[in-house]
Amino acid sequence: MSDYSYIIYNVENQTATITINREEVYNALNADAKYEIVKAIRTANKDKDVRSIILTAKGKAFCTGQDLNDRSVQAGEKPVDLGNTLETEWNPLVQTIRESKKIVIGAINGVSAGAGLSVALACDYIVATPGIRFISGFSKLGLAPDAGSSFTFTRALGQKRTLDFFLFNEPLSSEDLVEAGLINLVSEELLEKANEISSKINAMAPNCVELIKKNIQLAAESTFKESINNEIYAQRFLGNSEDYKEGLTAFFEKRAPNFKGK
Amino acid sequence: MSDLITTHPFNNDLRVALLKLNRPKALNALTTDLLQEIVNELRRLEDLPEVRCIIITGDDRAFSAGADILKMSELTAMDQLNDKRLRLLKEFSLITKPIIAAVNGFALGGGHELSMACDFVIAGDNAKFGQPEINIGTTPGAGGTQRLTRAVGKNRAMMLALTGEMLTAREALACNLIAKVVPSMALLQETFEVAKKIADKSPVATKLIKDSINKSQEMSLSDGIEYERRNFYLTFASEDQKEGMKAFLEKRSPEYKGN
Repeated sequence: MSDYSYIIYNVENQTATITINREEVYNALNADAKYEIVKAIRTANKDKDVRSIILTAKGKAFCTGQDLNDRSVQAGEKPVDLGNTLETEWNPLVQTIRESKKIVIGAINGVSAGAGLSVALACDYIVATPGIRFISGFSKLGLAPDAGSSFTFTRALGQKRTLDFFLFNEPLSSEDLVEAGLINLVSEELLEKANEISSKINAMAPNCVELIKKNIQLAAESTFKESINNEIYAQRFLGNSEDYKEGLTAFFEKRAPNFKGK
Repeated sequence: MSDLITTHPFNNDLRVALLKLNRPKALNALTTDLLQEIVNELRRLEDLPEVRCIIITGDDRAFSAGADILKMSELTAMDQLNDKRLRLLKEFSLITKPIIAAVNGFALGGGHELSMACDFVIAGDNAKFGQPEINIGTTPGAGGTQRLTRAVGKNRAMMLALTGEMLTAREALACNLIAKVVPSMALLQETFEVAKKIADKSPVATKLIKDSINKSQEMSLSDGIEYERRNFYLTFASEDQKEGMKAFLEKRSPEYKGN
């Protein structure tokens, strides 16, 4: 029996593919679905045969955020703590994607809304189907953006356009987000493209991939001095690795390197 | 040597000793036996003249996740009173060579207290620090309310110890609990780079600096400044001070002998 009820987890050619499988609710996520994605990413990180991860979904939607049928978020007689939902469910999910040592490629197959935006945009490398919509939707319910979307959008779009996006819920298209630098590219052949990218990553030195990801994340959140210092630590480590030796040897021997992750 | 810890010179540099806690399955839970082993080993390293700096580390998942709760749950107050842990930690403070804690993963409870008993902490970016004793109905008992408060101030110490919440490496850096954050996979190498810099210095001077700074945690400012001055005078009785200044004037690297 599968370990998962709400997602499909599959490993092939060193790529772990996580497919959100709640088509009937447009891939809205309840608590267990979120935990399953976290568990799958952790499993992929521990698996020596996996070098990169694809996160995608089944059906028309990628992820439409919180499953509002989940009792814990329904406003009733008792006060509801959405802060707790973020602290214990959404934020750990977004952080698990960001902190994954292995690159997470988002293959965004359809509409992303609410906290689903944050899940999509937390991915390291993002491919989207052309013309799909990214919608905020928070203000319709009387809520504010969450799970990192205030930060992500403000950095990319600036304050004025971000305010517009979150106040009035006008959708942005995949093409808009490519222009804003929030996603990498659009492709009709979504999964083929995502797999093509993951194959490229799988042939690279895993430590170098991990540290490129970390260097960039740190650079986005720190000063020039912190970033340039951090590069010293990363490069000193990589310069001592077996893979660097192999990379150099392969370069001089004019052949493809065979990286071992050491 | 026991299987609880292993030590070896780092990168074949005899001047830097790496002491590794070796109970990975128990997240390096700090049993009295383990603490005794650490202290025994530190005493041995203290007496080895070639060793100039010591690194204590755990593994990727944990520096040390604290005491063994199962064992502790059965102890009485008298067991605790007669336990030698406090004495062992006091002996820790008798080591005069600089000790760096290199922390990846969890440094919690007694493990965090152990890291604070070291002279300074370098952490991998996946490190987590905390005093979670409150979560199991007790209090920190080996510096977790004292060294912590001196490091981060009353407000942050209160919140940490009263809630049992953990700090990330960058949060710990921001509140002065640790000295430096590096990518977790580069932790040992970066700590070694720092240790090497210390190993290049005069052992007389590093010993006296460690002593003066540790005294600053216990003394008034004016007493501390007098204490510091005496240690400063003392360096002028060393060959190393003469060598250091001579080498500077002759524009060459000094060669310190530790006397």
